[in-house]
Amino acid sequence: MKHTLKSIFSSLLLLSLLFANAQDTKAPKPAKDSISTGLISAKTAVAVKPTAKTDTIAAPAVKKDRYGIRLGVDLFKLSRSFYDKDYKGIELVGDYRWDKKHYIAAEVGNENKTTDDARLNFTTKGSYLKVGFDYNGYENWLDMENIISIGLRYGFSTFNQQLNTFKIYNPNQYFEEIPSLTSGQKYNGLTASWIEVVAGMKAKVFDNVFVGFSLRLNRLITNKQPENFENLYIPGFNRTYNGDFGVGFNYTITYFVPIFKKVVKPTEKKTEKK
Amino acid sequence: MISCFSFSSCEKDDICDGNTLTTPRLVITFYDINNSSTEKSVTNLSIIANGMEDGITYEGSTLINGSTVAIPLKTDLDTTTFRFILNFGSSNTALVNEDIIEFNYGRENIFVSRACGFKTNFILNTTDPIVHTDAPTADLKWIQYYEVENRTIANENETHLKIYF
Repeated sequence: MKHTLKSIFSSLLLLSLLFANAQDTKAPKPAKDSISTGLISAKTAVAVKPTAKTDTIAAPAVKKDRYGIRLGVDLFKLSRSFYDKDYKGIELVGDYRWDKKHYIAAEVGNENKTTDDARLNFTTKGSYLKVGFDYNGYENWLDMENIISIGLRYGFSTFNQQLNTFKIYNPNQYFEEIPSLTSGQKYNGLTASWIEVVAGMKAKVFDNVFVGFSLRLNRLITNKQPENFENLYIPGFNRTYNGDFGVGFNYTITYFVPIFKKVVKPTEKKTEKK
Repeated sequence: MISCFSFSSCEKDDICDGNTLTTPRLVITFYDINNSSTEKSVTNLSIIANGMEDGITYEGSTLINGSTVAIPLKTDLDTTTFRFILNFGSSNTALVNEDIIEFNYGRENIFVSRACGFKTNFILNTTDPIVHTDAPTADLKWIQYYEVENRTIANENETHLKIYF
């Protein structure tokens, strides 16, 4: 189930990247067209000039970038809390536009998850904070404010684990396998920190409301393990694997609170000078 | 990075690898009572736990014919009793000899991994690690002497009990 989910989202990311590329290739097209039409109508130089003029008149229409704070929530964690009886969690997300392309971004969350594996059943409870930045690589037209970004986060989590039941593995099958044993052992004061590489996109659906999706590849830096057990799940980092890597994603809805506007200096002039 | 994401869905660590050190068996080595440093092979030894019908299987056979055997201990009780029957199933009933050994131990459950869960290590008691008695129908004990070599049973690479006969 988890694997299929992951593969679906991996392919979604791939698709979104393709989609992004498709848009990028579209953008230069009109320019090419205008050049080619220019060439074709080169004989009638008089006809060309006025159209060029109208272009330059249209360009100075002052373009302003809006700056502010975007706040929201991870819809996946929120909805999962309703349909999965073994999960309760919430993640609040926010970012602040630092300059044209950079955003300071953070996520803060709390999770209470019971993992039911074949041989173990345990409950993880804890909170986490992730802080970092996003770089928007998407060139918006006019007043669009979409984002296709790549970013980094530093994540830190403080949590506890409770081992509910466990099975003893015995390769010798002479005696019947004994049923799961009840433990109830609690491991408190656990911490972990990690780095995340974030690939994400946000689309403005209306006014100041954005819908976003991000995929994360995590790598543990520190991991305070309990004695005679292991941090098999870390709030914010998710499931741990053999090795220090993990994966995650979120699906967010955010509201943008504009604070100020900056005039975008027209870049056309620079290209003309060249 | 894209390939990392694609591969992440294929990762499998849900199956307990057979090479992982999990619950160990107790290793017994048989020695010659007349020459205590020489290993001696048993003939058609069957080791049956109390309440079981068949003997334990060691190296694919329920009849042991070497000088070493590894036997499982119960992971839900602090004691396991076995019948050690020499020349099991022999037509010459005079050769068949049964001794009873009771193992008394403490248990320690140790975390292994997500896929394997826990394992149980055993520590033989200091006072009464082994109780050796003759069969209900007395036929004289075939085991002359025994010696606990390692009280802690955490792996199968070493001998835990030496039996002299």
